[in-house]
Amino acid sequence: MAFYDDIFNIFGLRDWCNEKTSDVPMSMSELLAKTRGESVTASAEVFPFPSLDNLNKACSAMPRTREMTAGVEDGFLNIKDSLKVVLDPITQPLSWFLDGALYVFTSIPWFILIPMLILSAWYVSRSLSVTILVAFTFLGFGFIDHLNVAIQTLSIVFVCSTICVLFGVPIAILMSKSNAFERVTIPILDLLQTLPSFVYLIPLIFLFSITESKLYGIAIILYAIVPVIRLTNLGIRLVDKDVIEAANAFGMSNRQKLLGVEIPLALPNIMAGINQTIMMSLSMVVIASLVSAPGLGVLVLRGIRNLELGVGLIAGLGIVLLAVVLDRTSKGALTRINKSQHQDK
Amino acid sequence: MKSNNVNPIPKVKISNLSKIFGDKPQDMLLHVRNGMNKADLLANHGHVLGLQDINVDIQASEITVVMGLSGSGKSTLIRHLNRLIEPTSGEIVIDGKDIMKMSKDDLNLFRQNKMSMVFQNFALFPHRTVLQNIALPLQVRGMVETERDQEAEKWLERVGLSGYGGYYPHQLSGGMQQRVGLARALASNCDIMLMDEAFSALDPLIRTDMQDLLLELQKELHKTIVFITHDLDEALKLSDHLVILNNGAVVQQGEPQSILMNPSDSYIEAFISDINRARVLRVRSVMTALNEGEVYAGDVYVNDNLESLITLSEGDTKHTYRVLDNDVAVGQIDMGTIIRALVPKVSDKNNPIL
Repeated sequence: MAFYDDIFNIFGLRDWCNEKTSDVPMSMSELLAKTRGESVTASAEVFPFPSLDNLNKACSAMPRTREMTAGVEDGFLNIKDSLKVVLDPITQPLSWFLDGALYVFTSIPWFILIPMLILSAWYVSRSLSVTILVAFTFLGFGFIDHLNVAIQTLSIVFVCSTICVLFGVPIAILMSKSNAFERVTIPILDLLQTLPSFVYLIPLIFLFSITESKLYGIAIILYAIVPVIRLTNLGIRLVDKDVIEAANAFGMSNRQKLLGVEIPLALPNIMAGINQTIMMSLSMVVIASLVSAPGLGVLVLRGIRNLELGVGLIAGLGIVLLAVVLDRTSKGALTRINKSQHQDK
Repeated sequence: MKSNNVNPIPKVKISNLSKIFGDKPQDMLLHVRNGMNKADLLANHGHVLGLQDINVDIQASEITVVMGLSGSGKSTLIRHLNRLIEPTSGEIVIDGKDIMKMSKDDLNLFRQNKMSMVFQNFALFPHRTVLQNIALPLQVRGMVETERDQEAEKWLERVGLSGYGGYYPHQLSGGMQQRVGLARALASNCDIMLMDEAFSALDPLIRTDMQDLLLELQKELHKTIVFITHDLDEALKLSDHLVILNNGAVVQQGEPQSILMNPSDSYIEAFISDINRARVLRVRSVMTALNEGEVYAGDVYVNDNLESLITLSEGDTKHTYRVLDNDVAVGQIDMGTIIRALVPKVSDKNNPIL
């Protein structure tokens, strides 16, 4: 006798319950009990919570929790193929970009690549100290034979952050213009931001082949696109109302307002968002090494798997260094924009 | 001073304009038409009465000043003229066109070509240089860069800021920023200029400077200016036509001198009781007809203020002066008349705001 037997009896559901009887053991303890020839006894609890498992004990027509998660899985597997037909071609360019960038960056010889990185750091930040930091970092990577893996990580971050900006900024502009769209988007952004980063990988593994680079590309983009959307939306909404009123009073069209007033004035916030997006794609690229993303993350993984302390630690510190370099360079660009805009009122 | 001229077709005609802020303005309009006042409307229905049945004719080439205390609806009114705020009812006809019937594109064209605006907080674009700010109205219209910069340079010089074109707005003082705001409005070369408390954020000395600059420019440009202010001295100094608002309704409008001499109710009386009448009143408002055989102590002009006359007489109350308008004698004025004119008219001692 299970605790909830009476409830099903009162409502006259006993026949319905008995329609489907199964004594397949569902847990290890049930299995053990069965092999020992004992019958499964009612829960020892005085008043068990009416959970699916406990209700199932009283009425075998009720699904068990395990059947529920299996249902979710079946549901996903059922739509998987049709989903794949749609998603596969759409996301295919992402694989090309990632593979292309990896190929290009890793095949440039070091004596061209390192000066190129130093020059672009100077171009973006216009700061001598940042440029020197970049120079020492990459020379250091080269010295300890980590340049190639570091460049792999860097090129994935580069491709993914660029795509985040290309999609994130237009989405944010729509959000800033439409309160209804903002209300719909914000819960999705909250979900993307709080979903544990490993969970991104689970459905993707089912959808795409693990050898395809878009698998980790999508995971990184979904994870890293949030800050650039949030901060661009915020930046546009924070533009001084007086200035917008002046733009209206002089008959500026929506397009002129957006390109000539709102985006330039929101630029500091947009740049802060891009900085955060770069940081988050760097953190995700390490986790994505679980699904064959190349780079420093692979070495971290090797350190964990083979207990190679030194390898893991050095790769981990290398990621920190890469993060510092990317952060300082993009922040350098941000301060440069702030200065040229003179928004220090 | 053209408001004495007969000018049958106003540049801007505001008729029966009402504005109610809230969720159901149309329903509330009935309550207001049935005589509900602003306080009751807010207390019983949660709607704010912004403007109530405004009728104002704005003549071309004049400065029309709309004056009122804060909350009187003056900023709301000026924003109706270029439809930054949509009215609840009523119409505004500018140059024969009802602006309420304009489509969005027409409205943008109208704002680009007909009406410019100067703002209380300057509202300059912080990311653009002074010159680029002034060139903005021209850029919006699609003028090429070299041409619009040349035009902007001209206006920059006109407001006395030559050489500041390359600066950013935050590098200039408040007074200079508002000169830029003024130059930006002038550069658009529109007939009508809206000035929303344009000088209120400036300190008194700079405010006087800006008022003089505006009057000097107006002598040359003859714009139709709608000027909003809460400062009566400023209103009297600038206005050809003065509109006084209280609680969203027009209390009195007309030529400022005649409002001073004949306030329509106790609200206006209280309003004008604090001003220096000697400085504001002009000879033409108080002079009497020429009296044959009078001996004159000297000549004065119709637009001299009474203060200058008192200075001229050196306090001697027995003098009588001849009044000239363009060297033609049009009247006379004696010191007794002047002293009487300086006494403010008070009809009701239990004035609500005194």
